[in-house]
Amino acid sequence: MNKSGASPKAILDLDRMVHEPARLAILTVLASAEEVAFLFLQRVTGLSKGNLSSHTQKLEAAGYLETVKAFQGRIPVTSFRITEDGRVALRAYHQQLRALLPKEGKP
Amino acid sequence: MTTTDLEALAVLTRDYAAFQARKSGLATALGGLMAVLFLTAPMYVDALGIRLMGRYLLEYLLFAPFVWLALKTILGRVLYRDLGDVKAIPDAAYERRRWFWILGITLFIGVFLILGILGFASGFLHAIPAGACVTMPSLGALWLPLLYLAPTPWMLRGIEEARAYAVLVGECMLWFLASFLAFWSVRPYGNPSMEAASTVVQIVLVLLLLAILIWSALAMVRGWKEHREYLAILRSMPRES
Repeated sequence: MNKSGASPKAILDLDRMVHEPARLAILTVLASAEEVAFLFLQRVTGLSKGNLSSHTQKLEAAGYLETVKAFQGRIPVTSFRITEDGRVALRAYHQQLRALLPKEGKP
Repeated sequence: MTTTDLEALAVLTRDYAAFQARKSGLATALGGLMAVLFLTAPMYVDALGIRLMGRYLLEYLLFAPFVWLALKTILGRVLYRDLGDVKAIPDAAYERRRWFWILGITLFIGVFLILGILGFASGFLHAIPAGACVTMPSLGALWLPLLYLAPTPWMLRGIEEARAYAVLVGECMLWFLASFLAFWSVRPYGNPSMEAASTVVQIVLVLLLLAILIWSALAMVRGWKEHREYLAILRSMPRES
């Protein structure tokens, strides 16, 4: 048990799929809109194309986001939306993290 | 990554999405500018006696709302989609307000048209030149106001856009009733004029002119400010790592 009252097990219980900074950023962006284009996600998170693709594939495999493929004229456009599981996981992660962090003013 | 960073990401995404769903930036400013031009272009004030200029100019001006809708769509596609589409989370309260505006425009056109035709039939006919052939306004002249309503549910996505459209349509309805119906109903055609209008009507028109000018000034400032906000969003995007 540490000073904040959280046990080491609680820290280890954090959802690692969400905990990774790039994936946390992706889920945060997706949770703020209904559907987000690949290009916007890339620019707003500052990730490279390859990096972003790799992380979105992992999140999709975990069931946290879904890919939407469409055409604008002849140009293929990829967008993403967060799933209900993804929202629940992100909310749970925020709650876990808040419980683990020390209270304001206490180091 | 800190909670502040995450909050900033969420805000950035919501702001960008808002530009595609609700904010119109330069289109609002353009609406303000067009409202001033379309109000002042066909008329000149002669010691409160308002005179209208040529018929053909008025007929072209009646298409102003459609010109604005087309320009708005082009501006939206060219200026506010640099980084692809982001669909905002639907906001039920905002959608309700947007529909109130659309309903308001519909009622305004309906009431204006009915009162205008009634007023035209009862009042204007007394002032027509002797020997002129008078008919009720042709049904053919009524399609235009109805056409104003057609694109509203799809093309007015934001409340600012609805306001701009309402002002432009309002102006056109004024011109429509003041001259267009008269042209279509009295033969031989005369030049449009509101000289015979009562002092009350003239004062109402001048007040309306002032209200539209004030709204236009505000719309231009607000639209430009929104556009600057959008540029700030683009500037605040992180660089690729």
